[in-house]
Order: sequence, then structure tokens, then C-alpha cells
Amino acid sequence: MHVLLVEDDLILADGISRVLRMHGMAVDIVATGDTADMLLQHSDVAVLVLDIGLPGIDGFEVVRRLRARGNALPVLLLTARDAISDRVRGLEMGADDYLVKPFSTLELIARIRALVRRSSPQSHELQIGNLSLDQFSKRAYIDGKPLELSVREWAVLEYLIQQIGRVVSKQQIIEAILTWNEEVSLNAVEVYVSRIRLKIATSNLSIRTIRGFGYVLEKAEQHDA
Amino acid sequence: MHSIRVTLLKWLITPLVLINLIGAGLTYGLAWIPAQTAFDQSLADGVWALIPRIKEQNGQLQVDLPSEAEQVLRVDHFDSMFFVVRTADGKPIAGDHDFPLLQPSADIDEPLAYDGYMRGDPIRITAIRTLIGNKQVFIGAAETLRKREHIRNLILSSLIMLEILLTLILIGIMWIAVTRGLLPLKKMQSDLGQREHNDLSLLESRHQPLELQPVSAAINELLDKVRESAAGQQNFLADVAHQLRTPLAGIKLQLEWLQPKLQEDTEMAHSTRLMMSSTQKMIRQTNQLLALARAEPSRFEKTQLIRLELGKLVESSIQHFVTESDKKGIDLGFDLRAALIMGDPYLLSDMIDNLIDNAIRYSHVGATVTVRCHTEPDGSAVLTVEDSGPGIALSDQELVFSRFYRVSNKVNGSGLGLSIVRDIANDHGARIKLTSGGGRQGTIFSVHFPPTST
Repeated sequence: MHVLLVEDDLILADGISRVLRMHGMAVDIVATGDTADMLLQHSDVAVLVLDIGLPGIDGFEVVRRLRARGNALPVLLLTARDAISDRVRGLEMGADDYLVKPFSTLELIARIRALVRRSSPQSHELQIGNLSLDQFSKRAYIDGKPLELSVREWAVLEYLIQQIGRVVSKQQIIEAILTWNEEVSLNAVEVYVSRIRLKIATSNLSIRTIRGFGYVLEKAEQHDA
Repeated sequence: MHSIRVTLLKWLITPLVLINLIGAGLTYGLAWIPAQTAFDQSLADGVWALIPRIKEQNGQLQVDLPSEAEQVLRVDHFDSMFFVVRTADGKPIAGDHDFPLLQPSADIDEPLAYDGYMRGDPIRITAIRTLIGNKQVFIGAAETLRKREHIRNLILSSLIMLEILLTLILIGIMWIAVTRGLLPLKKMQSDLGQREHNDLSLLESRHQPLELQPVSAAINELLDKVRESAAGQQNFLADVAHQLRTPLAGIKLQLEWLQPKLQEDTEMAHSTRLMMSSTQKMIRQTNQLLALARAEPSRFEKTQLIRLELGKLVESSIQHFVTESDKKGIDLGFDLRAALIMGDPYLLSDMIDNLIDNAIRYSHVGATVTVRCHTEPDGSAVLTVEDSGPGIALSDQELVFSRFYRVSNKVNGSGLGLSIVRDIANDHGARIKLTSGGGRQGTIFSVHFPPTST
């Protein structure tokens, strides 16, 4: 995966490029908006990580020009300001996501991967630990052995896996699995989750309950990016 | 100290009392002179009664005054009466021989009254010059002053009483008038006095009297300047914090890259872990300073308030809390019911973040933290964060909201969290209640928002 990093703070740029390379990404660094704008007209990268406060033309302008050329390249804005106007303006200019400095490596990697996933065609296969999902046939396997899941259970598991590591509310689960003429109660969600929990007991995934709110699907080994 | 009230009263009361005194003097004169004249008149009547009784016989002047008639002349209930008849050269003809020298008017038959002394007492004398035949005769009548003094005292004492009463009433009226006149000033004073130290809103001058308008205009101008300078300070603080974020991000990423590479060497791993923890602390402090600058009432704009669901706000930062509580093995739970408020979502997120962070930070491993929100029957929304941590001693409860105050130095905290919470609650007109101590475990922070008007 090729990342173009536009950041004028050399130490931060160096740090970002190191951690990105550590996670198997190729990184090009430029320090000004003008250079970035020029490069973006010719080279082909998978994702643009762009600081807002740059010498010369700023990050907003780089995105604006990029979008004006009809380029749909995923853009992650880095900002030192968390002022509302900055966020809103960045997203209005056509950025896909923003990250407020200082951020952690895990956050940065997760955001970049999410952006790239969104922009590239989905694969039908999802593999997390020893559990694999075939989204085409709607079947799940642990160590290659198929799991017996109802349609609803499969939908809940698929959603939890898509949101792995993230806390999801019961309401979000309902909205995710709902089809147009059905009603699902909060209690029903609890039942599905407890059944799924039993069925994936042999996997290295676990579903943790967030009291009074929802669930988070976690991998047994934490902090594995 | 110089007082407007005293000055006003001084300038009103002094002339008033003076005018009253002059008035009293004049009234006294006006009352006393007719009384004196009436008394003199009755004394003169006695003289007139004597004149027909003086006769010239054989060139000698004689007074035909039988003792009954003399009794009539002399008898009076209060005063001793005296009379005398003398020739022009002073020879006594009748009456009291020790009567003082007569000084009648130069005109004939024109009574003249004046004061004198007789037998050691002050008296009032009426003297007349008359012609008997062709001889001038001086006739004098006198009386002691008891009756007159009595009347004079009566007039004086009633006048004094009246004047005192009038003066008191007038002073009272002036006092009330001055107090009423100064009322707007007092109101302005209490308005200003009741303000929080950071309340720099302008004075409402529309209903103020004309004379106070320039004063409040000047105060407003000053408040504007103070606000500007406070905002300048906050902006500076925010700028500094922003400027720090990029280098902090640099350090953090460099350390995160370095850490896995130094896992084998325990000494270096230890050192980088400390550096990381220091960096995290700096990052938090910087973010807290920013939140504090944002929450500063001088920067707060009521126009930015929007209708918000408290539960949704909690939800939006739930991921962060779950990760944090997980690290500490704290059971973090929620009970989020419908609760509508008017607020600034970014500030309120800061507030919720600090409340929950505080609960997690100061609770022991395995403690329970529960975040709740609901609507009270009166329509006000309440957010509570309850922990089963060590609780806060009563003596600390007032202090925890002040800046840089920390209950325990064993815990890494900025000491800013709760003052940010307080500032943001104040911005939103919300009330914070802290329930802790008193022998029971844990702490409950509850924030009561005012009911939203629909």
C-alpha cells in the first residue's frame, strides 16, 4: 500500500513514516502543499495523509484542488486543531476522515486501513484469527469447521466482526441487521449475542458486554494491529 | 469616605434647617408683636381711664381717684400693676412715687410703650403726655411681665415643637427621596457584586436613569476590554496548546516505533516506558489546557447552543472509555435514557470525557463506574457518573473543582479535569452536585441541566 504523507514537521513526518513502514506500507514524504499538489497530478498513491497547517498552500487547498481534478483518492487530514470549523471545513473540502494530533500509531493505521478498504472493492472473505466469514454464502467457519448460525445470528456476527474492537450499542446492532418489515427488540439482540458467544467459544474471539450499552468483539490477543 | 447620600443630605438639610430657623424667627415676631401690642393697648386703656380724673383746681393739678377706682386699676391676676401721674417737670401728683422716669412721646395724647425696671423687676411701661388745661401732665402705667412672659413662652415652645416636627418630617422625606434616588446605583452595585469572577457580560442599561447611563457605558466599555484581554489570553493558551500538539505527536510516534524494538533490553524498555508515560501526561495536560481555554466563559457563545441528546454525546466517546476502563480492569456500565438539553456538543463532550476519565482514573482496579442520564419530572436533564472508588473526603469536596487541585498525588492527573467540568457546567447554566464520603464508598457526580424550552 502506497501512502503519500504531507507533513512539514520533520520529526513527526519521520515518526509517521517509520510506523507506517513498520506496518508494511510504502511512504513518500513531502513537506509543502505545493509539492504535494504537484506530485498528486502525476503519481498514483493509495492514500493521502495530509497535514492542514502547511507552508504555502494549506491542506484544505490541496484537497480542494485534488477533488477539483476529479480525483477520488482517500484523504486523511491531520490537524492540530480540533475546532469544529476545522473539522467541518476539512470534510466539506472533500477529505474522507481527520485525525487530531497527537494520535497513536494504532489509530493512524486503523484509519488508513479503513479508508483504503472503503475505496477498494470488498472481498467476500473475512479472516480474523481462526474464524473466517464468507460474506457471499453467508457462512462462518472456525478452523475450517462450519458454524451453525441462524440468519439473524449470522447478521449480528458479521456486523460485530466488521466493527471488531469497536464498542457497538444494541441499537446499532438492531439497525444493522434490520430489514424493512421486521422488528427486533433489545432483548432479542441479547439472545442472539449469547447464542453467538456459545458458538464461537472455541475461536480466539470473544464478545464482551458493555453494561447497559452494548458489546465489543475482541480478539484474545490484544493490541494486534 | 465621600458619600453621595451624605453630600446630598448635607446640602439639602443645612439650608432647610437654616430657612426653617429664619422662618421660625419671623413667625415668632409675627406672633409676638400683636400680642405685645394688645397688652400695651390694655395698659394704655388704664392710662386713658386716668385722664378724666385729673383736674386743675386753683392752678393745682389734682387726681380724683377713690380707692375703689384705684383698686380697679391695680388689680390683675398675674401681674403687679403700677401707675403714676407727674407734672412735666417730674413732680409727682398721684400713684407710685418710685415709678421710673417717664419718657412719653413728644406728641400729645400719643401713648408710647417701652421696657423698664421697677423695684428690681422688669416691667412694661406705657407713658403718655397729655394736656390738662394748658399744663402738660405725664401719666405712666406699668405692669410686671409675668403674663407677657407666659404668652411669649407659649408661642416660643409651640413654635419650637412645630419646627422640630416639620424639620424631622422634611428630613425623613429627603432621606427617602435620596435613598430612592440612589436606588439605581444600589441596584447596579448589587448586580456587579453578585457576579462570578469570570462573568464579563455587559450591564443592562436600558432601564437605567439618564445619569447612570454614562457610568454603565463606561463600565461596559471596561468589561469589553477585560473580556477582550481574557479572550486574548485564552486564545494565546489555545495557540500554545495547538503548537505543542505537532511536536508531541512526533515524540509519541517515535516512541511507539522505538518501544517494540527495545523489548529485550529491560533497562531501555523501562526507560522508554517512562518516556511514553511522560509523553502521555504531557498530551493529556495540553488537551486539558485546550479544553479549559474552550470552556472559559469569556469564549463561550450562547448562540452556538443546539438541541442535544445527552446519551448520544456519551455514546460518541464510549470507545475511548471502554479502552481505558479495560486497561484498569474497571467495570464500566451505562444507563442512558432520553435526556434533551441545549448545549455546545464539543464542550459537553469535554465535560463528559473529564467526568468519566476522573472516575476511571481515581478508582481502584476492579471498581465499578456507571454513567447515567435521564430526564427529571420537571423536564430537566441529569447526567450522573458514579464510581465505587475511594470517595472524596468532605474537606476536599469544595476544593476538587479548583484548578490544579489534586486529592491524591499517587494518581497521574492534571488537576484540571473537574475545573473544566465546572466551567462547562456553568456555561450551560447547569448545577453540579457531588455526593461522596459520609462513611459510604464511592462518589457520584451529577450535573443537572436546566429544562429545555421547547
